[in-house]
Amino acid sequence: MSCEELREQYELYALGLAEEPERSEIRAHLDRRCAACERGFRQALRLVAALGTTAQAAAPPSRLRRRLLASVGVPERHYGWPVAWAAAALLFLSAAVYFSGRERQYAEESLRLRGQLGDQAAELRRSQEARAILSAPGTIEVAFGQDQPAQPAGRVFINPTLGAMLIASHLPPAPAGMTYEMWIIPKRGAPRPAGLFQSRSDGTAMHVEPGAADVAATEAIAVTLQDEAGAPQPATEPSIVAPLPVAGR
Amino acid sequence: MKRRDGRALAQLYDRHGRPVYALILRMVRNHEVAEDLVQETFLRFWNRAQIFDEQKCALGPWLLAVARNRALDYVRSQEGPGGGLAVCEEAEDPRLCAALEAGVSFAEQAQRAKQALARLPEDQRQAIELACFDCLSPTAMAAKLGKPPGTLQTWLRSALTEMRRAMEAGVAE
Repeated sequence: MSCEELREQYELYALGLAEEPERSEIRAHLDRRCAACERGFRQALRLVAALGTTAQAAAPPSRLRRRLLASVGVPERHYGWPVAWAAAALLFLSAAVYFSGRERQYAEESLRLRGQLGDQAAELRRSQEARAILSAPGTIEVAFGQDQPAQPAGRVFINPTLGAMLIASHLPPAPAGMTYEMWIIPKRGAPRPAGLFQSRSDGTAMHVEPGAADVAATEAIAVTLQDEAGAPQPATEPSIVAPLPVAGR
Repeated sequence: MKRRDGRALAQLYDRHGRPVYALILRMVRNHEVAEDLVQETFLRFWNRAQIFDEQKCALGPWLLAVARNRALDYVRSQEGPGGGLAVCEEAEDPRLCAALEAGVSFAEQAQRAKQALARLPEDQRQAIELACFDCLSPTAMAAKLGKPPGTLQTWLRSALTEMRRAMEAGVAE
């Protein structure tokens, strides 16, 4: 038979369906390496293989892979349930540590932000108090250190009902463990503590001590360096002394 | 793979194990037998790996041809001689191994075949499936369907001609 006559038979042959005499004819052509029949047969093999893929999908069991590889001397590691559980537990533990770390981080950040917010609120409150003292009628303004270069200089504002405010420059930052403490020095009796504060790195400072102040009975406003906890009475020589005038502003 | 690297065999199995298993299982309808025959299919390649030229031979189609032969052999052994199809030994000859069309992957060919099969008339599709997966000769199909053998022959030829055209044209829609 000719190659042309066999042309329609290649797929049947590849499927095992060809009948005699076509089956023997094709085999004979392939045996003698007939180029046309080889080409046709290869195309038939592609078609039959593609038809084979239309079988309903089915997944082989995982043991089959291990079995195949073991049969050629490639043992595949099989971890099993205990190791899987251990891995899962480790993953869970890692996640717990990670998230607890994150939670702690968030808590610290929250604390820092709340601290910042508190500082800003205190600063705002202090500014409002300062503004009130500055603008209120009856506030006395006293300058200090004006003629003493390199010494702390500034002004003190004191109001009978709103309190006292100090604004200073050239006031060096307090040494570690120390703080500045403001005092209201009465004409009679012991100095009264009027709050702790720190100066900034540029030597400026502002401190407000709200509350009523008996201006007429006050001799001066002073500032001393104290331990950071403060003290009921001045323990050092004052850095600032601002004597109040006899008459109000 | 020519150096018989076990990792290469693992990769080959990962790529083609699923369709090979599906084809064999569909033909033998027995999970344990299918596993044995899948292993046999891949070992057949393993033992001949050195003579394959992967530039000229598409391994996917070759493995499916071997798989089909293994399954067909098993079915024939169960049914006894005379009634089943013939094993196509040439399909396993590396010299005749089918290369893929240029620029067309086997996955694309499989998709073409699936679409072309779906376009066939119901009787032709049934004839193809009985031949491919149930290992029935036209005479056995005729007996099963109560049709003359000549009719089944005609359906099969028509179906294969249409499939061939669709595969060659690359248009299955």
